[in-house]
Amino acid sequence: MDILFFKAALFGYLLSTCGYMASLILKRVSAARISAWVLLAAFVLHTVSLGLRAGGAGLTPAVNLHEALSFFSWAISGGYLAFQLKTRTRVLGAFVSPAALILMLAAASGLDVISIPESLEGGLVAAHVILSLTGEALLGLACLAGIAYLLQDRWLKNRRVTGYSRLLPPLGDLDRIGHICLLIGFPLLTFGIAAGSIWAGSVWGSHWSWDSKQILTSLAWLAYAVLLHQRLAIGWTGRKAAVLSIAAFLFVLFTLIGNAFFRSVHNFV
Amino acid sequence: MNLILFGMSHKTSPLEAREKLALRCGEAGESSTGILGIPGVKEAMCLFTCNRCEIIAVGDSPEAADGIRGFIAETGEFSAEDLDRFIYVHRGGDAVRHLFRVASSLDSMVPGEPQILGQVKEAYRQCVDRKSSGMLLNRLLHHAFRTAKRVRTETGIAENAVSVSFAAIELAKKIFGSLNGKTVLLVGAGEMAELAARHLAANGAGKIFIANRTYENAVRLSREFLGSPVEYGNIGEKLGEADIVISSTGASGYQITKDMAAAALRRRKNRLLFLIDIAVPRDVDPAAAQIDNVYLYNVDDLQGIVDENVKTRVAETGRAESIVAEEVSLFAQWYDSLEAVPTIVDLRRKLEEIADGEIGKSSWLRELGPEENEKIRQLVGSVLNKILHGPVTGLKEASRNSGALPYIEAVRKLFKLDDSSSEFRVSSSEFEENAEEVKGEPAGSAASGRSESREDN
Repeated sequence: MDILFFKAALFGYLLSTCGYMASLILKRVSAARISAWVLLAAFVLHTVSLGLRAGGAGLTPAVNLHEALSFFSWAISGGYLAFQLKTRTRVLGAFVSPAALILMLAAASGLDVISIPESLEGGLVAAHVILSLTGEALLGLACLAGIAYLLQDRWLKNRRVTGYSRLLPPLGDLDRIGHICLLIGFPLLTFGIAAGSIWAGSVWGSHWSWDSKQILTSLAWLAYAVLLHQRLAIGWTGRKAAVLSIAAFLFVLFTLIGNAFFRSVHNFV
Repeated sequence: MNLILFGMSHKTSPLEAREKLALRCGEAGESSTGILGIPGVKEAMCLFTCNRCEIIAVGDSPEAADGIRGFIAETGEFSAEDLDRFIYVHRGGDAVRHLFRVASSLDSMVPGEPQILGQVKEAYRQCVDRKSSGMLLNRLLHHAFRTAKRVRTETGIAENAVSVSFAAIELAKKIFGSLNGKTVLLVGAGEMAELAARHLAANGAGKIFIANRTYENAVRLSREFLGSPVEYGNIGEKLGEADIVISSTGASGYQITKDMAAAALRRRKNRLLFLIDIAVPRDVDPAAAQIDNVYLYNVDDLQGIVDENVKTRVAETGRAESIVAEEVSLFAQWYDSLEAVPTIVDLRRKLEEIADGEIGKSSWLRELGPEENEKIRQLVGSVLNKILHGPVTGLKEASRNSGALPYIEAVRKLFKLDDSSSEFRVSSSEFEENAEEVKGEPAGSAASGRSESREDN
């Protein structure tokens, strides 16, 4: 049943992505407006799918790669939709919706419920997974807003403002999204890492094992810590903040897909 | 279609001619009552703006046309030659199309400017107040408003600034998102700078600092804008506070150098800074644009944006024209339905329904034989035919002389042939809605209409 909803959500993300693309090609915000509703519908279906999977199978929601990607996609869409309520940033969806779609397509390759090692059951692992993934999704959203910021900045600097610049949100709004995502996403990631570390201490006997994934995570965490410091203490806004938030997210991306390249004790996801 | 439209616009006549006509006509409502006095004219509406004079009347007989032409010649004191040069005449469907195009701002100097629709609505209100409009004009004008609304919402014709000062506001919004509480610094004063500052204030900008080489002028201006005057020497310092700077001094040499901008940015903790340089020669060192988070536009840049926007608007007129064509044919359909035949059919059906109803109710008829029943039915039928004979021939005759409208209206009303008669009434709520629409225009675009064109003020 959850797979049916998952497929419906996947189709929804596909539709909304097409809508956003149409909005870009036709240069009409109206298409993006409709796509936002489609995206919301996809998000709701996705929520149901996740709920069924978690409730029905009695699993923590995201322990294999399929679930992690699916959850990530869900969180990034939800985060974006929440911003959409507050600001008129419709066409930013043209960045978010394809990202969600790609994640969902990747997630679709491993739909089967697999049993997980007994050691991974329990509240700490769930907290670790949910907090980290939600934090990372928000930081991903900040990265997308950063990309949009750099594009908009380029156009405004070069005085090419009659084309796509009109479609993208204003610089101020994009910067604010990046800022808020960082303010919420960074603590979530921190708590997520802490939860994982406590769990590792109790099960593996060591809190930190200098594993490839852990190293990448700590690099990403450091980069975000620097960004947060620069933003709050030095008053970084705009281009530099956007660049750093994109760069920092690259580390996060590596931590997510790094397992394909490195051996890791973190070999589940 | 029984419609005739006389007009002169910025395309066909000089301003003086239009001015003269408009002035002598007095209020639009007044002159429409005057035109109503012309034999053959049944309804009339006048629209005067500084870019056009339009008279639209129901009644397309030769004497009505001559009468209106005479009225224009007389009031405007135009020679026959001038009259031929200035005036255009549209009849029937063409008149409808012209009115729809005017209301949709397709015939304006700058296509898509927002003022004209409000002006058409005002002219119509005056005409309703003076009771110079009837069923046809009421329907026509409401249809025109609907068309204009469709054109505005379905095409990009009214999008994007077409004046330099308003283009600056749009850019500011693209940079900051909202202008609420943003601080503005005016360096030097000129018409364009004041205009831009006014737009900014209307869009929610907060504090306004005014610096001028003559301090007294700064003080005078700051009273007007409720701003604060700044010593000219202190502009470097104020750059740290201001988010939007409009510079328009007549000075030679850069008033704002790259170093000043860089220092200001440090002081303002890298918050975005929008420099608008509308001075010639330029006030702001172009190199300032290289600094991160500084956006610099000069008057040529802004003009370039405006030119581009005008092009986009013109490109949108094609889609707008097809909407107008669609609506004109819808209106023609409605008009055709007013011809006599449907009314005659409806009238006969109504009477037959009454007869059938009464026969059905009379239970005593059932006690009679079928033969008697048939005879009674025939009797009722021939009474109906006798009753109908007069109105039917009257309607047919009137429609041959293309004057059936008042009869149709009367018959439909008296016999209650449709309960949709309410749609011909002008409801006050519609006016309120319209008024709100005009008021509710985005402050910016309304302002842009005022500043960017003299169209239809």
